[in-house]
Amino acid sequence: MIKLAEMPLLRSLVIFSAIMSMAGLCAYLLAPLLIPIILSFALYALFDPVSNLLQRNGINDSMSAILVLILLVVICTIGVSIVFPMLAEQLLILQAKIPKLWEFLTEFSLKIKNLLSGYGIKFDPDAITKPIMSTSSDWGKDAVIRLSNLLIDMTTTIILVPLFTFFLIRDYKQLRNRALDLLPNKSFELGWLIYYRVAKKLEIYIRGIIMQSGIMAIVTSIGFYLFGLESPILLGTIAGLLNLIPYVGPLLAMIPPVIIALGAPVFDPFLIVAAVGVIISGQIIDNVIVVPALIANAVNLHPITVIVGIIIFGNFFGFIGMIIAIPALATSNIILTGLRNGMKKNVVT
Amino acid sequence: MDKNNNHPLWQNIFRHKDDDLTAVCRLWSSTPLFSDIPESCIRRLVKNMHPRLYKKGDKIFTTGDIGAGAVLIKSGEINIMASDTVLATLHTGDFFGEVALVVDEPRTADAVASTDCELIFFLRPDLEEWVHNSPRQGAQLLANISRILAGRLRQANNMLATNND
Repeated sequence: MIKLAEMPLLRSLVIFSAIMSMAGLCAYLLAPLLIPIILSFALYALFDPVSNLLQRNGINDSMSAILVLILLVVICTIGVSIVFPMLAEQLLILQAKIPKLWEFLTEFSLKIKNLLSGYGIKFDPDAITKPIMSTSSDWGKDAVIRLSNLLIDMTTTIILVPLFTFFLIRDYKQLRNRALDLLPNKSFELGWLIYYRVAKKLEIYIRGIIMQSGIMAIVTSIGFYLFGLESPILLGTIAGLLNLIPYVGPLLAMIPPVIIALGAPVFDPFLIVAAVGVIISGQIIDNVIVVPALIANAVNLHPITVIVGIIIFGNFFGFIGMIIAIPALATSNIILTGLRNGMKKNVVT
Repeated sequence: MDKNNNHPLWQNIFRHKDDDLTAVCRLWSSTPLFSDIPESCIRRLVKNMHPRLYKKGDKIFTTGDIGAGAVLIKSGEINIMASDTVLATLHTGDFFGEVALVVDEPRTADAVASTDCELIFFLRPDLEEWVHNSPRQGAQLLANISRILAGRLRQANNMLATNND
């Protein structure tokens, strides 16, 4: 008969599988609230230092949570009243331009077809443009409906997120202590060490990527505006959001500004180069200044693990999955390493 | 009134949770670990510490276990042992395992409860969080830990010197 106590690797794998199954079950049960919960934890990581600063200055737990909530409500109000209408307006302008853009692309591809046929090369542009045209036209028709659904979801999220964040800032540490105090005496210290490592890494990573995404959005919005691209704030916001996805995101971020540059009233190759150049410049600033200062080596994962993880999580959970892939993989890595080392009675690394 | 206080319901209503907290604060503040640290700071820290109950004969930790922090004996007795030899017996108000507050090293001895006991764990995550939030008092606490560890080193050197003589 196999004795788990004598097989540290198997034992740690069993415990790891149990933890992951519980996490999966919780995610399944909380599916309708998962996005507000993830956002609340992200905001908690971002605003906890503010709450700590207030407490350090003699303000009690509840009052500091209330002050953080007020700050959040102010930010959300500004977001809803200024940024959302601006983004919606720019999105509608973009939607109106889509037919004209495809008209231009069709003409452009016909010119290429004629040019290539002069050299005896056959090129059928319809094979490429027709499927894209039909998809984009469907998207164009649905855009307003999608946008209004999105705004409804956003409104629910905007109400729930500050509320959840308030309770997290006020009660999270107590809840965490109670939950971890349920651990048996034997694994109490190990449990705390693993939790602490996960929490510390996630806190640095989440705080880092939120700030990184914001900086990327601002830098690229300014860049697009300076080069005269239409809807610069919308494009910058998209670039900032896509920057949350490592490796793949910056490549995807190039597509919208290039499409906008192609749809300019007068075809200007410089505008296309400028659109790509803004994203590349943003990436250089990001990699040289922002990442070393804010994220550094918060998650030590191999690039292949990251890319495969993004693809798999993206396949199952869409855009949100691509964003949570890295923290989820890093957490699993720390838990498994911690358990394995703990079971072997060595130092947790 | 006494009769009522013995009933769990009345105990929960009338029991002053603060009494427990004050008792633990008093025990910690009388240790060299918290010397020169204001009572209010100790109180805030103790609120986040972790009380745990052990039965007689239970192992608190064994040699090689990963240590996460220092342990204060709120009640009961603990034997510190190495290879079945009792190195020291600790009583209410004593603390042990403070090395784990500063380094990620495995425990160097066994700690076994020689009576039923209630222990208060002060973990490294709590300490790091506190140092981050209250740097001045945190620095004082780290200086206290350094003093305690320096004392232990001196003691170990003296023992080695005595053995060599």
